[in-house]
Amino acid sequence: MDIIKSFPLLIVLTLFISSFILLLIKKAKAAKTISLLSLSFALLLSAIHMVFVLRGGSYYYSIGYFKSPFGIEFYITSIEGIMFLLFSFVSLMVIWYSAYSIDKDIKETHIPLYYLLINILIGSLLGVVFTNDIFNSYVFIEVGTLAACGIIVVKDKKENIKATLKYLFMSCLGSGLILMGIAFLYTMTGQLNMSYIHQSIINVQEDYKRTILITLSLFTVGLGVKSAMFPMHNWLPDAHSSAPAPSSAILSSLVVKAYAILLIKVLYRIFGLDIINQFPVLRIILILGSAGMIMGSVMAIFQKEIKRVIAYSTVAQMGYIFMGVGMGTELGISIAYFHIIGHAITKAALFLTVGFMIEHTGNKKIKDFHGIGKRLPLTLSLFTAGALSMVGIPLLPGFASKWNFALASIHKGELTLIGVILISSLLNAVYYLPIAINGFFGEEQESEKEIIKGIFLKELLPVVILSLCMVYLGAASEGIIELINMGLI
Amino acid sequence: MDVFFNNYFETAAMILFGIGFTTLLLNSNLIKKIIGFNIMDMAIFLFFIARGYIEGRDSPIIVKVFKGAEGYINPVPSALILTGIVVSVSTTAFALALTLKLHEQYGTVDIDEISNVGEE
Repeated sequence: MDIIKSFPLLIVLTLFISSFILLLIKKAKAAKTISLLSLSFALLLSAIHMVFVLRGGSYYYSIGYFKSPFGIEFYITSIEGIMFLLFSFVSLMVIWYSAYSIDKDIKETHIPLYYLLINILIGSLLGVVFTNDIFNSYVFIEVGTLAACGIIVVKDKKENIKATLKYLFMSCLGSGLILMGIAFLYTMTGQLNMSYIHQSIINVQEDYKRTILITLSLFTVGLGVKSAMFPMHNWLPDAHSSAPAPSSAILSSLVVKAYAILLIKVLYRIFGLDIINQFPVLRIILILGSAGMIMGSVMAIFQKEIKRVIAYSTVAQMGYIFMGVGMGTELGISIAYFHIIGHAITKAALFLTVGFMIEHTGNKKIKDFHGIGKRLPLTLSLFTAGALSMVGIPLLPGFASKWNFALASIHKGELTLIGVILISSLLNAVYYLPIAINGFFGEEQESEKEIIKGIFLKELLPVVILSLCMVYLGAASEGIIELINMGLI
Repeated sequence: MDVFFNNYFETAAMILFGIGFTTLLLNSNLIKKIIGFNIMDMAIFLFFIARGYIEGRDSPIIVKVFKGAEGYINPVPSALILTGIVVSVSTTAFALALTLKLHEQYGTVDIDEISNVGEE
């Protein structure tokens, strides 16, 4: 069964190699097929791999013939297994959807390039998730950043280029800080492997108190910029709202999550709770997360374009994840991971349905979507399901994570956090529900294009599957949180 | 003060990092932003390599006699920074290409002017 241990590496390599095959192909259809095939392969292997990890537990996998600490190493626990499954599943669904719609957004000659970037992006994100080597994760971050910028700018409009440059500069800032953090870590410990850094940093922590504080803040700010922690989020709404719908779905549901996962790894795997509890870092992450939950939603209320609303909602939802990280308890971290899964699936479905509505009406403003439910009933129903999950209606994953966040904050004795969660949920309802209600019961609006009425089951099938998975996730939340807990120990 | 003069590599790296960081964050000219980004990256590379260099030791290549582990510097930082330089170069190239595109569309490389055009 040793061959299954190499599946994570195999998938990263498959995605990279297949992306360069795409470079040689001129036909759009062939490019789509190759991208779909490679991602289906990833989903298949990740499912087998998940079963293997559940039976056999976590393991180290060294790449090449050098053993750690010199060689690069993957450390796979049940969390990495779940994230492997999640990333390949969501990206496969998004790419499936994009096969029908991407021709309308970008030029035909750019389509092979687009799928090249998507494959590189997913490969590098999976690399960030798997790797146990801090410098290796930096390289994957940089590859991922450039690819993520690419899938925004591929639309080749004015506002795309502007948003991409903003995103690129903020990302450069973030990765510069991360590299500086790595330099400090290497100076203190002489290691690059996360497990070995952890062992030696425990021995030297008394001598390097200030340096550890600087390193922690460098990593927190650097990865915070990349994962849209509250005051550093200003690149996100532009980038996510101007990109084509499939890109927005991937950016919002996967890209920011990979950096959040890396932040959790840096905080808890490299430093460990004993060291970070001596500094106010977790406290600051908790406060910024709570501020993001409220401010993200407040800013979403004032937006006029529907995609910007959803982009700001991502800022708020990242706040939940950082709140879980900042609690510093085992329960908090496992709920943060659960929220990463739930939000990834829900946000992908939301962005795809909104993209479908924009594509079929030619409108972008919220007020133009009144009465859309009479023409596109299935689309708006799927949107409503996602919106209800964001608000936190029972049975959906949004409720499960909010409920568990509340339990975790009671467990920690921070009752004010429950108030923050409640306010944030109410604010979510303020901007999500009117879109759904006016869509079903509002007066029909004139639109630029003539709207074809219909169900469009073929085009929307991937979104339907995403929504079904969302419902399953909500129903099976307890089991999944148990699985995540297996990986934390 | 002696601490700063004895570790002049690190001091210089930190000063350069500050210059680059503020230029990248605060300057509104895109080309200057890119220059700032490069200064910042170079400062990190200098810092990283300086941590691996030990005064009076040889480069880690064995010529004729092996001087023992005490005779050579640490090669790992230099090897890592090689990767860092490649990343920095490709990011710079990408940013410059985007700036060029933006200049075609708006006729300026000042980010403030570009945002003002967008609001009108």
